[in-house]
Amino acid sequence: MSFFSRVLGGNTPENQQSGADTIAKICDRVQSSTLLDDRRDAVRALKALSKKYRLEVGTQAMDILVNVLETDRSDAEITGYALDTLFNLLSAYIEEDEQNEDLPNGDVRDPEELKLCVQFAEIFIKNPNNIPLVLGLLEDYEFRVRWPAIKLLTTLLSYQASQVQQYVLGSPMGVSKMMDLLSDNREVIRNDGLLLLIQLTKGNANIQKIVAFENAFERLLEIMSEEGGSDGGIVVEDCLLLLINLLKKNSSNQSFFKEGGLILRITPFFNIQKDSSWSAQKVNNVHLMLQVVRILVAPSNPQQATGACQKVIHQCGLLKFLCDVLMASGVPADILTETINTVSEVIRGCRVNQDFFAAVSAPSNPPRPAIVVLLMSMVNEKQPFLLRCAVLYCFQCFLYKNEIGQEQIIATLLPATADVSAVTAGQLLCGGLFSTDPLSNWCASVALAHALKDNPTQKEQLLRVQLATGLGNPPVSLLQQCTNLMAQPSVKFQTRLGLLILLSSWVAHSQLAVSHFLGHPGNVPFLTSQVAEDADEQEVLVQGLCAFLLGICTQFNDNSNKNFTKESLQQIIAKRIGVETFIEKLEAVSKHESYTQAAKKPQLKFDSIDKVLFDYEFTALFKVLEISVIKAIQVGDDSDAKKTVDDHNSIVTQYKDIIRDQDTHLGELKISNEELTREYRKSQSLLVEQSSQIQQLRDQYVLLKAQHGNQTGQGDGAESNEGQTLETTGSSEGSAEHKKQLATLEQSLEDKEKELEELRGRLASTQSADNVDSSAAQNDDSEVTSLKTRLEQQIELAEKYRLQNEEVTSQLQQAGSGNDNSALLAEKAAMSTKMTDLEVRLSKLETDNARLSNENKELSGAKDTMETQLREASAKAANPEIAIALQRVQQERDELTQEVKRLEVEKEGLEGDVKGVRQEMDDLLVLLTETDEKKTIYKQKLEDLNQEVSDNELEVEEGEEEDDDDEDYEGEEEDGQA
Amino acid sequence: MSYAYLFKYIIIGDTGVGKSCLLLQFTDKRFQPVHDLTIGVEFGARMINIDGKQIKLQIWDTAGQESFRSITRSYYRGAAGALLVYDITRRDTFNHLTTWLEDARQHSSSNMVIMLIGNKSDLEARRDVKKEEGEAFAREHGLIFMETSAKTAANVEEAFINTAKEIYQKIQEGVFDINNEANGIKLGPQHNTVNPAQPSGDRGQQGGQGCC
Repeated sequence: MSFFSRVLGGNTPENQQSGADTIAKICDRVQSSTLLDDRRDAVRALKALSKKYRLEVGTQAMDILVNVLETDRSDAEITGYALDTLFNLLSAYIEEDEQNEDLPNGDVRDPEELKLCVQFAEIFIKNPNNIPLVLGLLEDYEFRVRWPAIKLLTTLLSYQASQVQQYVLGSPMGVSKMMDLLSDNREVIRNDGLLLLIQLTKGNANIQKIVAFENAFERLLEIMSEEGGSDGGIVVEDCLLLLINLLKKNSSNQSFFKEGGLILRITPFFNIQKDSSWSAQKVNNVHLMLQVVRILVAPSNPQQATGACQKVIHQCGLLKFLCDVLMASGVPADILTETINTVSEVIRGCRVNQDFFAAVSAPSNPPRPAIVVLLMSMVNEKQPFLLRCAVLYCFQCFLYKNEIGQEQIIATLLPATADVSAVTAGQLLCGGLFSTDPLSNWCASVALAHALKDNPTQKEQLLRVQLATGLGNPPVSLLQQCTNLMAQPSVKFQTRLGLLILLSSWVAHSQLAVSHFLGHPGNVPFLTSQVAEDADEQEVLVQGLCAFLLGICTQFNDNSNKNFTKESLQQIIAKRIGVETFIEKLEAVSKHESYTQAAKKPQLKFDSIDKVLFDYEFTALFKVLEISVIKAIQVGDDSDAKKTVDDHNSIVTQYKDIIRDQDTHLGELKISNEELTREYRKSQSLLVEQSSQIQQLRDQYVLLKAQHGNQTGQGDGAESNEGQTLETTGSSEGSAEHKKQLATLEQSLEDKEKELEELRGRLASTQSADNVDSSAAQNDDSEVTSLKTRLEQQIELAEKYRLQNEEVTSQLQQAGSGNDNSALLAEKAAMSTKMTDLEVRLSKLETDNARLSNENKELSGAKDTMETQLREASAKAANPEIAIALQRVQQERDELTQEVKRLEVEKEGLEGDVKGVRQEMDDLLVLLTETDEKKTIYKQKLEDLNQEVSDNELEVEEGEEEDDDDEDYEGEEEDGQA
Repeated sequence: MSYAYLFKYIIIGDTGVGKSCLLLQFTDKRFQPVHDLTIGVEFGARMINIDGKQIKLQIWDTAGQESFRSITRSYYRGAAGALLVYDITRRDTFNHLTTWLEDARQHSSSNMVIMLIGNKSDLEARRDVKKEEGEAFAREHGLIFMETSAKTAANVEEAFINTAKEIYQKIQEGVFDINNEANGIKLGPQHNTVNPAQPSGDRGQQGGQGCC
């Protein structure tokens, strides 16, 4: 009873009894009434009682209510009441209308009642039909149904998220139905839909992805824009919470967000007007927006994904907006801190963004780089602690994988380049290093360590820095000053840790820095004494780091300092500290809570100022060197360790050499490959050029052929060729030329033929004359014989010519057979057919000649008869008539003789022609041989390039050469005529 | 980044048929012989060009395992195209096509373009399903068909691009309601004149491309 009275507040037992009875009655009515109106009234009554009599209604009516949802779904009102009742039963929050309760609105009920709610929720969820049933009701557009269904689901999710999520995933279009709520034009539905989705997406990547697939990003950004962006109200905050749920630890959605161009869409939210007011809501909104950006570029994301997002954030101007916020005035400190953290992660390891950040300047007078302004805050005690940590994080991210940035920072410390007039990063860091504020000391030390990280050049550069300690005192190096400072008894613990972090980072991996450090005789004894002492809990860390520094000095010792060689240091450690103690002290560091905390992630996260002991980058260095340092200080294993290390080193060197050799070899091969490729390309282009030239020449040839066809009447072909050959180049030139000459030759042969015909005609006339008068036959006979011999000679010449022609043809064919170029081949073929034509003509000429000689024989036969006739006639008597006739015959014979003489001259000319043609043939042959040779050379070149050879690269012929040949030919012709 | 249209695709099919490899080959042009089982769904994107128009493909690569089937179903509704993949060296993956197709038809918009893909065409020696069988199945169910190899990249581009061409053609024919994002199609930013709250910078290039 006491339980009930507690639950039901101030009710008396009678009231409870009647309450329970009433509820039982109502339940009965809901189940048994046949009229919908009655059932509806009963459920309404249940709803009214559900807050006051949670236990009774819950235990008796839950199943009945679910039943109502199933059977009376068609009636919105009763469904709505049933859902409201269920919600009232399960909700742990005090509703606005619960006026009778003293508790303020929105508060959680007392634990007992909360337990009851949880139990009812469990019972409700246990039935696998219930969640799909409520999900189905979400589809009902009716406000009285949809709204309580949303609230009920939200409540259920808040109790048993993973189970409800599984139901939602299992029911078809479950997530889609919830996503549709965001498109509801009733704001209440939309806003509560947002709350539902926030609950739904918590910790379930599959649901997050489906929600994103259903265009959640776009929709959320639309709602945020509608609600006024960063100046908007709580709805914007809800949207951002959902956005963060969807993106956090979900690389698929992050990639989708980036690929969807949504980074560009969130950019305007950061365009914060100057001097704008910062309401609490706006602070929340901007803070969450910054979270969204940080999720996209978190250092823990895959480098590729972060890099891609960083690029986009810079490109779409978001980084600029962020930097504007950074430099703006009136920005609340926590927003400023978070903005610094965000900028840090946006620029971390991304050179373009780091360079952009380096160029940002603050709107001060004179304008200073943003980095300097930020560092001023870092070493300023009055600035908020978290802001100072954020600045250090920003500095760390700025220098992460940024050698040029490191160089620029160190340069501001160097004597040669330090600008005295302006405030520089170096000055601020030095100031911080030696200020009286321990946190400033620590931050400046760690910041300097970041400027030296993985950068041997800067480690050595910084050794040059000398500090003036006071009037009259000699300058002290920065390295020594740090050590000196550490030894001062008044120095705080945090400062000493910071300085040890700086010194360890500085001398690690740098033999020169180590020898500088060992150069001061007091340093090693100081460190040894620190480690050897007994110490309290905090001092353990200082001792550990002192041991670490000693170890580094041993490991990276070049033995240049005779007092502190590697071996002597090993002995000092073994004798003064003891190897066991040394290792113990070293291990104490990595076991420390602050160490493990700092090693988790790059961002510095400290609860309070005194927890600031380590930073992420130093823990990384410590992790790497811890083992090797322990090895380096072991005296017992000295020879072995040294040996193995030496062996190891030598092996490494060996491999390095091999790799170097291979590298150079690879480089050579690459170069030669490039050369070969270049040559190959050149050859190919040459081939293309040449083939195009051949094509051109073929065209030209056709043209020339046509021209030549017009020039058939022209006797001297060579002269007309002169002009044309100048225009023609390339391998086919010789052929064209050759062809032209052949044509000329043909021409002259035709002439000759004509002349022969003429001659034949004349001979025929002589014959007839002889028939009339045979007295001249004797002379005639001798002339005919000479004519015959001439003819025979001519035939011989023709035969020779034919042979040469054949030779040239075969040469051409040979050249042609070696030539893959079809164009050239065709030309050659054409040429050879020309040659054959010529041959045919020659053979015709021969037959003509043969016929002529036959005729001559006949003629001589006729002359014989004429002779006999003449003899007979002279024997008969000297007849005056015959004498006259004889005289006439003699005259005619004289004429004939003259004719023959003229013919002879002409024949000589013809002979000269033939000679000339032969000369030309020879020249042509020479040209062809040359061409062949060049071709072979080219082929060889290409073969050297491992290249399939196409044989069409015949070398270009010089027009002048042709001209010379022509001139020679003419000269010879003249000689022959002379 | 500007595009005329955005199409959403899903890749479905039995486990181990090479869905993730197809996506990787398409988006990154590389092949990863050992690939983890896909958990739920993974996202990939690439820009392509059809008829001179830039089209952005957003591709959701689903898990083939039975246990993820209900999750996969959530992606059908919003997709314009689906690549239904089987393995030509495993007949069972071919036999399951009917189930996949029923699932897809039931949960997707009726206009969703489905491309049937016989993957691993490089393993000709181990072929278990004839190309003709794939063709016949596609013909029977009105699908486009292709054999691909995510390993050699053979036909991978074509598979994604041909699907996009089919969708594009359907848009031209007016089959798709491009203003309903549930169809898996979105107009590019330059078309989007509805929302006044959108930032106006970097947008609005080459406007005036008609919707259909």
